[in-house]
Amino acid sequence: MRNKIKEPASTLVLRFISGTFAILGSIVCLFPFLIIVSGSFTDNMTILHEGFSIIPKKFSLEAYKTIFRAPKDIMQAYIMTTYYTVVGTSLGLFATALCGYVISRNEFKYRNHVSFLIYFTSIFGGGIIPWYLMYASVLGLKGSTIAIWFPALTSPFHIILMRTFIKSAVPDAITESAKIDGAGHFTIFFRVVLPVLGPGLATVGLFLALGYWNDWYRSSMFSTNSDTWELQFYLYNLMNAQTAIKQMAQYTGLSTADLPTESVKMAMAVVATGPVLLFYPFVQKYFVTGITIGAVKG
Amino acid sequence: MNIKRILCLLLIACMLLSLAACGKGSKPASTPDSSSDSTATPSTEEKPVIDTSERVDLVFYVMGDPPKDEQVVEDAINEVLLERLNATVDFRFSTWTDWAQKYNLELTSGSADLIYIANWINYGTLANSGAFLKLDDLLPVYAPKLLEIVDEGLFNQCRVNGDLYAVPATWPEYTVSGVKYREDLRKKYDLPVPNSIENFEAYLLGIKENDPNQGLLTCTVAESSGLLTAFDGFMIVNFKYPWVNINGLPYGLAANYDTPSDVYDYWYSEDFIEDCKLMKKWADLGFWSRSALSDPNNDEAFISGLCVAEIAGQNPNKHIAAVNDFAKNHPDWESAYIAYGEVNGVIYPAAATQNGTAITAQCKNPERALMVLELFMSDESVHRLVQYGIEGVHYEIDEEGYYNNLSENFMYENFNTWNLRVNEFKLPQRSDAILNELFKKYEELGNKTKWPNINVYGNFTENYEDYAVERGAVSDVMRQYLAPIQAGFVDDVEAAISQFLEKAEAAGLQKCREGFIEQYKAYCAEYGYDK
Repeated sequence: MRNKIKEPASTLVLRFISGTFAILGSIVCLFPFLIIVSGSFTDNMTILHEGFSIIPKKFSLEAYKTIFRAPKDIMQAYIMTTYYTVVGTSLGLFATALCGYVISRNEFKYRNHVSFLIYFTSIFGGGIIPWYLMYASVLGLKGSTIAIWFPALTSPFHIILMRTFIKSAVPDAITESAKIDGAGHFTIFFRVVLPVLGPGLATVGLFLALGYWNDWYRSSMFSTNSDTWELQFYLYNLMNAQTAIKQMAQYTGLSTADLPTESVKMAMAVVATGPVLLFYPFVQKYFVTGITIGAVKG
Repeated sequence: MNIKRILCLLLIACMLLSLAACGKGSKPASTPDSSSDSTATPSTEEKPVIDTSERVDLVFYVMGDPPKDEQVVEDAINEVLLERLNATVDFRFSTWTDWAQKYNLELTSGSADLIYIANWINYGTLANSGAFLKLDDLLPVYAPKLLEIVDEGLFNQCRVNGDLYAVPATWPEYTVSGVKYREDLRKKYDLPVPNSIENFEAYLLGIKENDPNQGLLTCTVAESSGLLTAFDGFMIVNFKYPWVNINGLPYGLAANYDTPSDVYDYWYSEDFIEDCKLMKKWADLGFWSRSALSDPNNDEAFISGLCVAEIAGQNPNKHIAAVNDFAKNHPDWESAYIAYGEVNGVIYPAAATQNGTAITAQCKNPERALMVLELFMSDESVHRLVQYGIEGVHYEIDEEGYYNNLSENFMYENFNTWNLRVNEFKLPQRSDAILNELFKKYEELGNKTKWPNINVYGNFTENYEDYAVERGAVSDVMRQYLAPIQAGFVDDVEAAISQFLEKAEAAGLQKCREGFIEQYKAYCAEYGYDK
């Protein structure tokens, strides 16, 4: 038998107002995306003359045909991006978790000094040129795939997140008892700490994965071979080629035919975000719990 | 416990030391050693012995995107290069994303040996700051053929402060500015050819009468962000003035092509007031939209029929792009082109620094690099490999000598090596037929100018360090006050102009003018344009 608790009027009003705002907010967020999807299926001339609309005024698959005309290139970009995401996320998670674990241990005498070093250096940066020179000249990584996933492995934000989570999820008592039982440092980490780290790993992993999936800057700076390009860079570059060539045609006599049009730009956006959209609903719950991870103590 | 800790610290120290040692090794600190080695080998006698016993791998940095068959063609080129010069070349591309930043980074971090240079990527400024090697001494020894292939006049245009830093391409290109318009509409409504301001007005009015819904012009401020003009539509005045440069000189100055060192004022003159009143008349007639100053630039307006003419930033290539597009999508439309130079009598080819090759300052093998460059530009078969790909696979030459593309994997000049163009070797394309016709026309016109086919203003680089602040302020004033005047959106033109000039003065216009005139006159004197 269901007992329905009668809600006071104020709660209903609050629910109504917040519901309305939420619906309006989601429409505002959803609307542009619908237009992009519809634009990608519209004939280009129609877009130029009549603008965008929610339902394609003149249906056409021309944009997708243009993008996939050289499927080898875009497939290569997809494969490389997946590779970078997988490698980067797993190594990044490993590094971040290790770092966070160490800093969170009370028995580590220098944890405050190390934390200070990590956070302090994130406040200011040397700029693009020293960063580029470091990877290209000093480490000699220009052109290699390492230069694309290595720079983004960890970040102070993720380390803080991890540290806070471990501190709250793994009380000192557990690790002490494991030590008393004779476990070494790595055994404690892998057998005792990691299994409990689920939500923390999922959160940081998601941040990392999204970061890698969306990155194009490192491809632009460091790759010398189009085989190592990331997906976002490949698409962004196609668009830039169009703008640059149209300007450069002023100077260098390049042909301006066959360049990405409005509908192709829309199709590119869909192609780039498609996979992420598809698996997002499955990992969404980790995002929600992850954001509140550091908030509750004890 | 203690021993473990000490061991750990020692281990870390060892790793750090090894990393530091690695770092030092990869720095190009060994440049002085290697270059002194390779220059010591050839003696400074008349016929130096050029030592190619050591294999050298060079990097050629070019703009744009790589072709699909990059590796295939590179391998073919390297096969020949290894045989002839014991060297290989790897083409590296900047792509069109952040190309300006990447170009500068490439020069700083230095892994390129040969690099593409152009006046639109700051050749003059970079040469001045020592990014490239001086070539005067190296050319006669390692690339004597280049001295024969490239005209001395062209070499002189690449000199910065008397020193030569780049080897230009030798194919003359006319990147003139002009008006692109719909010829089919002109014929349909029997309108005059828009080859003057009056005729252009009549042309647009005629179309407006017959088809009030047709968009006329889609002028924006896309081509007007500098210190010459503040609105694209204002460029129509180039039909009137035989200026040394399109849109005159910066800061409201002007000089005629025939007397380039004779700088006079434009913004304070009656002519300027006349021209602005003309713009107001055109704005009131509705030639462009009332939101022209804030509209984003639409490159496709002309080919999609949203406008009937374009007057800013139109070079012959854009006209040909329109012709090709119409052939595909609107066979009944026709595009025609008139260069401002045809009407005002001032036509010149692009400056030699439009496309050139330089050797970077950190190049470890400048001699070999020069020899490779000489081979690219002097040997026809190697030249064809670099520019067009493998004959029979990527292209073929038909009976009339035209280039015919066979494979999408390597198109015409797909390595973007426009800097290696040699007039005698360049294969004409059928699609270039129109372009070549236009170029021939312009060459004839150019020969009639005072300095036949010489771009007088093209090599001038302004060093505005001393008045950079004023320059920025004047530019802001132009965007705010001059743009509405030149777009014709003001009610009282004369009052608006006086207000604009007042603001410009307050921003430091005179200081900019003085600085500019001093440098410009010195430039004219150096090149002999003040005779």
